[in-house]
Amino acid sequence: MTATTIPTKTNSTSQRFADWAVIGITVVALLAGYLFKNSVESRSVPFTVSGISAQTPQGWLLNTAQGNQILHVTDPLSSGFGTTYTIENNPIAPDATMDQVVGLLILDRGQSLNSFRVLEQKKVTVSGRAAYEIGYVYVESNPNLTHNDIPNIVRGLDYIFLNGDHAIVATYWADENAFSSDLGRFQQFLGSLKF
Amino acid sequence: MPETVCCVCGDPGTKTIGPRWFCEKHFQSATHERPHTWRSSILLVAGLVVFVGVVYALDLVLKPVWVGTELIVAGVFLALIPAIIWMGFFYIQDRLEPEPKGYILGVFLLGAIMAAAVGIPLVDNFFQVSKWIYTDTAATILGSILVVGFIQEFLKYASVRYSVYLTPEFDEATDGIIYATAAGLGYATVLNIQFVIASGGAALGSSVIRMVVVALAQASFAGITGYFLGRARFEHKPWWWMAAGLSLAAVGNGLFNWLRGLVVQGGISLTGASANPWMGLVLAAVVALVTLGLILWLIRRNTRTALAEK
Repeated sequence: MTATTIPTKTNSTSQRFADWAVIGITVVALLAGYLFKNSVESRSVPFTVSGISAQTPQGWLLNTAQGNQILHVTDPLSSGFGTTYTIENNPIAPDATMDQVVGLLILDRGQSLNSFRVLEQKKVTVSGRAAYEIGYVYVESNPNLTHNDIPNIVRGLDYIFLNGDHAIVATYWADENAFSSDLGRFQQFLGSLKF
Repeated sequence: MPETVCCVCGDPGTKTIGPRWFCEKHFQSATHERPHTWRSSILLVAGLVVFVGVVYALDLVLKPVWVGTELIVAGVFLALIPAIIWMGFFYIQDRLEPEPKGYILGVFLLGAIMAAAVGIPLVDNFFQVSKWIYTDTAATILGSILVVGFIQEFLKYASVRYSVYLTPEFDEATDGIIYATAAGLGYATVLNIQFVIASGGAALGSSVIRMVVVALAQASFAGITGYFLGRARFEHKPWWWMAAGLSLAAVGNGLFNWLRGLVVQGGISLTGASANPWMGLVLAAVVALVTLGLILWLIRRNTRTALAEK
């Protein structure tokens, strides 16, 4: 038999290629998985009411809109407090200023939400439109005393747009643990808002 | 003329299998058929099924009322049982042809550390799989393969490839399966402990089925990765061989997740939702037996073919 040199350890060129091929196929698979994840998460269904339209996430639960809400959707797969988007179309006086609307909204939130605290507020521009952003936190607790659930801490963001004699408020609510990770998707939703 | 050396230890080679040289000792190891590996695998599956039956029966008869810490401690203990059963059987079966127990335990711990430090954070936090993977069938299958399958199988592969793979103790193709199974069970143990802690404890009856299903699945698909690792170590394989093996294991892993969801799924009626976890156990046991049986048969056939050609 012809004697040949056989690599004793696996640091041969072919072994190195094999190692890199394994790493490569894993990276490619994960990149494909990431792109697929993004495509699944960005699937949306159109929504239009009273001249206000947006692309709402596909597969979310459509809840009964309350008060001036025209949209109220919740992610059924989120843990803790269900991530929620709402759109309100509030009538206002034609000469109402943004500061007045913001003040009234904060007052309303303070009355309707437990332990409501404003974290930040500022003027912003969303898709070229002037808006006002309010970041806040509150506690969501089941009012039924027989439930032994621990209350959820919920982070919220309101974006207020003045539209003639109406103020349109796009709201994002999420469990504090999911707030940052779910924010990107809300930004897409906010970007799709048209009126 | 170049020196001919053993591909395991580097000592002068005296015999060959295919194009690879072996010293006398490692030629014996490489051509030795290890029936105990197959027996350990069958005993693992049977032992785990018996374990489920015993815990389920105890839960029905004793109806323990555990809460809080008691429940978590019981759940963590149960999560360790599959690995303990396998290592116990392996130790008994391996007396005549021992693998270093320290290496086996080390790879098991490495698999566990990989799961806790890399696998679970990647799957749960970075990819946030639970938020999108159940959207539809395509998302379930592709997400299970591309994300969950590849992450889990790569980490099990890495646990073996970058630890014992180059040591003289890794001296036969079957060692790939043994060490990869240890890594898979380490991974499964951490997945089960995470499940127990995340759910605030484990109801004995139903949780033990889930734990055993996870352990069997992780061990089976790690076995596929281990088969490719073992053959790559002792044969000249093309550069894509190991990548193809890992992909096969990842696809199997992902398809199993999807299938398990289908068979476990019950129905929703006026009295509430129902599920059938026992079907998941049957599926996992069948997959484990078929997978491990197939790869051990392939190794045996390959050894015999190589010797016949010689």
